[in-house]
Amino acid sequence: MKLPATSSFKAPVKFRMPTADNLVPIRLDIENEGQRYKDAFTWNPSDPDSEVVVFAKKTVRDLKLPPQFTTQIAQSIQSQLTEFRSYEGQDMYTAEKIVPIKLDLRVNHTLIRDQFLWDLNNYDSDPEEFARTFCKDLAIDDPEVGPAVAFAIREQLYEIAIQSVASAREIKISKKGRRGAEHMSASKAGGNALDLMKLFRFNSSIVRKRKEWEVYEPFVDILSNEEVDVLEAREERNTR
Amino acid sequence: MAAKSPVKDTPPPAAKPETPSSADAEADVVNVPSYSGWFSWDTINECEVRFLPEFFDSRSPSKNPGAYKYYRDSIIRHYRNNPSRKITFTDVRRILVGDVGSIRRVFDFLDTWGLVNYSASAKPLKWEDKENKSAGGGGSAAESSSITNKENSKTLCSGCKSVCSIACFYCDKYDLTLCARCYVRGNHRVGVSSSDFRRVEISEETRTDWTDKDTLQLLEAIMHYGDDWRKVAQHVGGRSEKDCITHFIKLRFGEELIDHSDLGEVDNNVDGGLESVGTTSPNKRMRLSPLADASNPIMAQAAFLSALAGIETAETAARAAVKTLSEVDNRASKGSLGSFPRNTKQEEAEVASNGDTSRNTLESFTVEANSSVEKEERDLEKAISGIIEVQMREIRKKIDRFEKLDLQMEKERQQLEQMKNMLFVDQLSLLFHKTSAPKTGEHMEENKIVKPNVS
Repeated sequence: MKLPATSSFKAPVKFRMPTADNLVPIRLDIENEGQRYKDAFTWNPSDPDSEVVVFAKKTVRDLKLPPQFTTQIAQSIQSQLTEFRSYEGQDMYTAEKIVPIKLDLRVNHTLIRDQFLWDLNNYDSDPEEFARTFCKDLAIDDPEVGPAVAFAIREQLYEIAIQSVASAREIKISKKGRRGAEHMSASKAGGNALDLMKLFRFNSSIVRKRKEWEVYEPFVDILSNEEVDVLEAREERNTR
Repeated sequence: MAAKSPVKDTPPPAAKPETPSSADAEADVVNVPSYSGWFSWDTINECEVRFLPEFFDSRSPSKNPGAYKYYRDSIIRHYRNNPSRKITFTDVRRILVGDVGSIRRVFDFLDTWGLVNYSASAKPLKWEDKENKSAGGGGSAAESSSITNKENSKTLCSGCKSVCSIACFYCDKYDLTLCARCYVRGNHRVGVSSSDFRRVEISEETRTDWTDKDTLQLLEAIMHYGDDWRKVAQHVGGRSEKDCITHFIKLRFGEELIDHSDLGEVDNNVDGGLESVGTTSPNKRMRLSPLADASNPIMAQAAFLSALAGIETAETAARAAVKTLSEVDNRASKGSLGSFPRNTKQEEAEVASNGDTSRNTLESFTVEANSSVEKEERDLEKAISGIIEVQMREIRKKIDRFEKLDLQMEKERQQLEQMKNMLFVDQLSLLFHKTSAPKTGEHMEENKIVKPNVS
């Protein structure tokens, strides 16, 4: 039986995070009078905006930061939320998209490196659940790793979602007709996506090749204090 | 009163009242306030469902009771790892996977109920209310009351400008003081949320002490004015009527001279005031949220009364009301409408008595419903019988038709018979004529014999 074409022209969907919860990844990096506050967490955009101020105040109080941080934190969160909401009315095209998600993060003393495939069309997917299982299976002691993993996944999904919105806009602008649009979506959106059909053709097996095993295996390393310091110094240099 | 429970162990015993120890000497014992004695690791209590509905109304697929339990258990475990240190929301937020809004709400809930960060020296329980209520309260507070009244020895409510006697609610953020009624109704400024308010008990005794002179004046006034407590209050000089009455009752011979019928409601409030003075505030905690609906004045009134009266009185009153209600229902209902009394029972259980009106309406409803059901049944029967009659008539007509046909058939058959006979006769006569010449009397005889048969 003939199988349908890969990037089938699906009807556009309203923008949202391709996960079970429509949560926004928020990253904060505020510097004020020599004090630097970096943080990353997930936010629920359906919470009222008063929550932002409450959260900012609580964080400042808990971390004993100088009070100027309150307004800056609140502003940063608000602007990221508004950006997210600005995407919300627009369409995005979701063709058959299985994207590789890469984890490469360091949380306190734990270093994590991993790569896996994620189905963008599955709106029931849950990065939080993944992160919880990940930490439990790999017996990670540090409880801060879980949220960091979930956040990293969410951030990448968010990026991809934004890209698909941008590509949808381009398709509309170009107005090239059906076939042209298919080409566009294939080229733009499928940049990262694997072509499922090529992968699962009848003469190739679905079992991964041995040399790719290492890439797709999670790698967890516990660092010593000196290594942590080294890495931190390198990160600071990179960001400056 | 605090219930002691070992750390990291099976669920603490439910509300075991023991005397509190101010200094927690043993390191592996965690104090939990008695109003949180319901907590258990394995189950989710209904007050958790009530305060954090977002996890239990399945609006979003990952906000399920499992997630709530995960948050709650991790937060409490994290706290109990080191109970002497207060954990902050940011600590907790960093170690939990999930969106920070929900984590914050769970953390606030646990904090308010003393399940985390609770030490014997903690300040008395902050009033917590549902998030919805503050939004609803903000909407319903049409008037923006002025905040000119500061708290002085005679606390005036900033909302309704009446003297707060028994309990008032103080918001230190905006320096507002509200009496219990205004608090329940959400009668404050729009920007203020109900959780900002702190309950302040006002005890009669500590506010103003009754000197001998005052007592003398009180007695004089009572002698002059008898039951007119307004005039008595005026005479005594600056005490409220309730103050006078309370003090009078406390005097040993006071009870004989009081006219009980006058003081029905006031007595209740006074008793509530005395009670609230006696018990320590951390043990009293009332739920105003389900009833503090400004749009339903009866419910607001009931909430106010129950707030003043205290837990025990409200409970006993509600129980008595429920009992009488159930008795009436057993008599009135025919069993088919059992759900009605059950629903109303649940509501009644939370309100301090007002059973009569609802009982009457319930009775009338059941009677109406029954009569309408019977009427419908009768109509149905009539319709069915009509249909049956029509069918019978049809069948009868058909039968008649068939009978007629039958008769016709008979007639035709008889005619046919006759014709057959005639034909036979004709044939015979023909034969006879044919054979009459050659044949003789034999045929004649035969004919004669045959003929009588043909007729």
